[in-house]
Amino acid sequence: MKRSTAVAILTDVHLWVPVVVLILGIILLMSLR
Amino acid sequence: MSGTLTHAETRSTLSLHKLGVFCGLAAAVWLGTAEAPTKLVNAGFSPFIISMGMVMGAFVARWTVPTLLKGTGFVFSDLRAKPHLIVWAVLAGMLWAVANTLTIFAVRNVGLAIAFPLWNTNSLVGLLWGCLLFKELRGAGFKGWSKVLGGAFAIVGGAAILAYATSQQSSNTPGKAAVGILAALGAGLLLGTMYIPYRKAYISGMNPLSFVTIFTLGELITVFILGGIFFGGLGNLTGELERARPMLFWPFLGGFCWVVGDLFQNFAAKYIGIGRGIPLSNTNQLWGLAWGALVFSELSGLSPTGKALVITGSLVMIAGALSISTATPPVSELTSWEQSMHRECDRYRLDADHVAAVVAGNDPLAGQPHRTRWWEVLVMCTAAGIFVWLALGTNVQQISVSIPWMIVLVIGTLVPLGVCGTLLWRRTRFS
Repeated sequence: MKRSTAVAILTDVHLWVPVVVLILGIILLMSLR
Repeated sequence: MSGTLTHAETRSTLSLHKLGVFCGLAAAVWLGTAEAPTKLVNAGFSPFIISMGMVMGAFVARWTVPTLLKGTGFVFSDLRAKPHLIVWAVLAGMLWAVANTLTIFAVRNVGLAIAFPLWNTNSLVGLLWGCLLFKELRGAGFKGWSKVLGGAFAIVGGAAILAYATSQQSSNTPGKAAVGILAALGAGLLLGTMYIPYRKAYISGMNPLSFVTIFTLGELITVFILGGIFFGGLGNLTGELERARPMLFWPFLGGFCWVVGDLFQNFAAKYIGIGRGIPLSNTNQLWGLAWGALVFSELSGLSPTGKALVITGSLVMIAGALSISTATPPVSELTSWEQSMHRECDRYRLDADHVAAVVAGNDPLAGQPHRTRWWEVLVMCTAAGIFVWLALGTNVQQISVSIPWMIVLVIGTLVPLGVCGTLLWRRTRFS
């Protein structure tokens, strides 16, 4: 993968919204165990 | 170029909105039907293992019928053209796996009546993200907003009434109620957010079959990691799966139906957006209810008030679906969708003309016949063989089943598959 594509991915709000929600979901799940 | 035009000219002229609505409704039928086989599982198995069986079934099923529709060559070339979207497809699979595990906790702690409507709010979350991140409903006007928002709220409201009316389970442990509600809301948030990758993939011109391929992989890996954590190691998890072998066929069959439903849901998200497509496919509860009530006689002991609530909830849900179905996006909204598409093309250096053609259901490559390779046949036979192997010697729970209603519902499930599959082929060649 080109560096410019990697930068575009990492600076994309479309990535970070789901990633943050996923992290929150994993934290919630782990706390329910 | 003339070849491309010839392909496009021979295609149906059905509007993409109508096609998306049909796909959303077909998704609801198949996602609802996916619940039916799991009812045949004997008691005594962890819901986590049943859910895991469905995920494994979905992964295997992806390599059966969908492989016939588009060769793997098409899928791999699609992925090579937009490799950045692999990240989002894996992410969507992970979101689904975590959300589904949360729903298990939610049902355990507060019962289906409270949990289901709470996680059904995912369509409202999806609608919010669609509007904020993909400019859906921008320029739709008051009428468009009212139809879509009103319809989405009606579907969630109908889900709440149905869940309340059909639940035999009450909130058991009061101390755990807050945790259950939190888990259900978390599942709704995760499922609603999962539609961000869906929409992103389709305004970038990705084919739903390519997306689902990577999605099921992300899903499978995540449930195995989660299963390993919850059962105290992969060894224990494997032991549980071996113990569950006699009933695994049923969740696998559910996974097969789920993959078909998910494919239709993806096509709906592509052609009418997540704001409209997801609430429509969330009417799957109606079909799950139809299987439960008509085939498994689950509502036979329901009071007259309960029956009245079931009818009310179903009508509210149908009214919501009708409202969304008639909310055709005006030109001003379609212009906003186009702006979102251009954002993706600029950001990831995609060919805007090609992407625009794919988004409009006119993928120039879609009509080309694909050569089936020997190893594709091998993969399909192996996948089908796994289903046959599981079916042999499988156990069935001794419950009464209405065969005439089962035949009616099986036909009612196959008809949308045939109709919608034909419409998709004629209009888009499954692009």
